[in-house]
Amino acid sequence: MELYNLGKVPWEDSQLMYHALAQLGRESLCLLSPSTPYVCIGFHQDVDQEVDLNFCRANDIPVFRREVGGGAVFLDGNQLFFQLILKENNPIAPKRIDAFYKKFLQPVINVHHRIGIPAKYKPVNDLVVKHRKISGTGAGEIGDCIVFVGNLIIDFDYDTMSRVLKIPDEKFRDKVRKTIKENLTTIRQELGEEKYRQWDEPTLNQMIAEAFDKLSGPLKPSYKDQEIVTKMKELEASMLNDAWLFQKGKRVAGRVVKVRSGLEVVQRIHKAPGGLIRAEFAVENGKYKDVNISGDFFCFPKDSVDRLATVIEDCPADNVSSAIKDFYQTNKIDIPGITPGDWMQVFKI
Amino acid sequence: MKIKGYNLPEDLYYEKNHYWVRKEGDILVMGMDDFAQQMAGDIVFVQIPFSGKKMKAGKKFAQVESGKWLGKVYAPVNGKLIEGNEELETDPAIINQDCYEKGWMYKIEPSDLNELNNLIHDPADIEKWLLEDIEKYKQD
Repeated sequence: MELYNLGKVPWEDSQLMYHALAQLGRESLCLLSPSTPYVCIGFHQDVDQEVDLNFCRANDIPVFRREVGGGAVFLDGNQLFFQLILKENNPIAPKRIDAFYKKFLQPVINVHHRIGIPAKYKPVNDLVVKHRKISGTGAGEIGDCIVFVGNLIIDFDYDTMSRVLKIPDEKFRDKVRKTIKENLTTIRQELGEEKYRQWDEPTLNQMIAEAFDKLSGPLKPSYKDQEIVTKMKELEASMLNDAWLFQKGKRVAGRVVKVRSGLEVVQRIHKAPGGLIRAEFAVENGKYKDVNISGDFFCFPKDSVDRLATVIEDCPADNVSSAIKDFYQTNKIDIPGITPGDWMQVFKI
Repeated sequence: MKIKGYNLPEDLYYEKNHYWVRKEGDILVMGMDDFAQQMAGDIVFVQIPFSGKKMKAGKKFAQVESGKWLGKVYAPVNGKLIEGNEELETDPAIINQDCYEKGWMYKIEPSDLNELNNLIHDPADIEKWLLEDIEKYKQD
């Protein structure tokens, strides 16, 4: 298997390289990081809905759609990427998605352990320290290959991450930023100012290469040859254009920001016959948290909505419909023009 | 037919990557089978290509995403895509709930209906193929 230990590369190359290698069917491990920041969205996402394009344009932050799953992320040179390209029929690649991630996240766990961070695997594809994510990963089938991509997060720019996302108002943006900060850690935070500086990019990449070498078999140091350069040029024409970036993605009701596996922050606005309902909440491991309801409608008694929020708080998502109906039936409340069905429009996930 | 917890109706035709096909008059309806949806976990996105897209048997024509894994959908026969299930655009998890009815994915106008004979259909063949795949996936 080929090893491309490239260090800092132009931002486009940090994406085009693995797409090219997969399309060429060349099994390899790429280790690189972007020399300038950019935003990268998942294959299924709708860029208009997910990314604040005006902010990105004003700040010269390019946006790229990858052919790999997952959500929108802000990427920069403080994140070291590993990109593993395997043939679909390679016997070392488990067929089950969960088994695949578990197997190929192990080298990344080992590197964290070597530098003194007790990272653990969390299904399906997260690496966590206590409850905080420390590496983002994703996978896709490109050409005849499986591509597994992820990063070592030396440091993270929480402010810019929360700024590049399209978010309807600043209050909700603060919530998103706070939630990401609480749930995403970095090598710098885990090791402290002095220790984290010991681990520079070449050293960490060497450790990643050694760790993957044990799983994949010998890695042969390689350089970008003409075949790869030509394929990357070809992909540049098809992937760095508006038609690819703005292709129709999944439409999502309201604003949903996935912070890590099992944690989403949601804002929804619903126009019911009785007025406008607005809600912000998190869904953590299938339960509603931090439920906040406001809007422009009448309710009697006045605290009905606060009581409803209390009912929904900690409620499992599967039970929310019956919890709202029970609330209407067992309490003497009057919210004209707003039915349990309207609340479900707001809270369904 | 229920085999080791996987439901594969005998009246359907199956593509080897675990997509089912049902003949409805001159057209074919296809979707993901129970084995594939259980292996995939929560489906979060189904790509619905444009109507009229040409399909080549055994080749990728769309993508489906689950658990941060972007996988391929293979054409079971040669033909043309005539419709995608638009409900999956907003609620792809329907596949996890009802993969053979509400969770259908695409309607196809086949070039030649006889190509159905290239798919897995005989109950004994379905059982053999599924048991082999259960074993392959178990080895992990």
